[in-house]
Amino acid sequence: MKFSIVVYAAPYSSEAAATAFNFTKTLLDQGHELYRLFFFGDGVHNANRLAVVAQDEVNLQQRWDQLITTHRLDAVVCVSSAIRRGLLDSQESERYELDAISVYGSSEIAGLGQLIDAVINSDRVVNFG
Amino acid sequence: MSCLHTISQSPSRQLLDTCASVLETGDAVIFIEDGIYYCNQKESLAEFKVEFQVYSLVEDMNARGMLKRNLIDAELVNYQQFVELCCEYDKVVSWF
Amino acid sequence: MNNASNKKTITFISRQAPYGRNNSRLCLDMALASAVFEQQVNYVFLDDGVLQLVKDQNAESINSKTIGNALETLGLYGINDVCVDKKSLSRRNLQPTDLIIDVKMVDRSAIGELIRQSDCVFNL
Repeated sequence: MKFSIVVYAAPYSSEAAATAFNFTKTLLDQGHELYRLFFFGDGVHNANRLAVVAQDEVNLQQRWDQLITTHRLDAVVCVSSAIRRGLLDSQESERYELDAISVYGSSEIAGLGQLIDAVINSDRVVNFG
Repeated sequence: MSCLHTISQSPSRQLLDTCASVLETGDAVIFIEDGIYYCNQKESLAEFKVEFQVYSLVEDMNARGMLKRNLIDAELVNYQQFVELCCEYDKVVSWF
Repeated sequence: MNNASNKKTITFISRQAPYGRNNSRLCLDMALASAVFEQQVNYVFLDDGVLQLVKDQNAESINSKTIGNALETLGLYGINDVCVDKKSLSRRNLQPTDLIIDVKMVDRSAIGELIRQSDCVFNL
């Protein structure tokens, strides 16, 4: 079955970010297809590569990055949610003349059209917020 | 078109009341995150007219010390079964 | 694109009051994007979501954009299936005349029916 996952929750603020991760990992382990992972609203913080986490805590952002990279997932960070929260890739960083790249390279910054495309092309869309 | 509803907030947020008012026979509810505290309230499900299957995520029950407090006899499911339920029902509606 | 139908029925249920949290804005943005991509959109105000429709909002006083004005764009984007839950309205001492845009008054069973008829439901 072809899933898309939408994440509205930031890691460490809400369990929903971790629930989304566990759910996504489980469906991939079961052999289902993930059409797209979409980070929206506060959910964009899941793609932050600049987070530092205490050694005895789970670095959820890093786990997402590993999962996305390992399974070559299509992961999208919503542009309007991202840039106002300081989540930038090299392109956005240059565009706004800022000097940092804060989004993992495994996720792409794009618009809400990618979410609608995911709705059109997935059997199930599951939201975590 | 059957529907699986996820509820992830504690009973004080009253999401089940609204959810139950829009679902119909054949739909199901799964409690996740703080939603699992519904399992600790025997009166949680008494008042609803429509009958629906109730599941609860065992990982979240265990984390909160609630495994022995499943007073509503929700069917306990793990993440694998949660994913399977999402396939079994035609769509998933999240209440958060 | 695969061979899935390119036109889906998507229902948005907006359940949060404006300003306190951002969910009302996220929900609206998703619906407008769906309309731009020519999907069939239903928009439902439920629970505290009905408070977004109250007249006389002025969010400048809290350095925010007034959501009531933004909701007027629903019609401009061709989203005409806009409903309000009667019970949520009356529980908050509101009448249809208190609302900023014309909306259809519906009961819970009609909302349930919209959910059942939809390919996908966003509920926030």
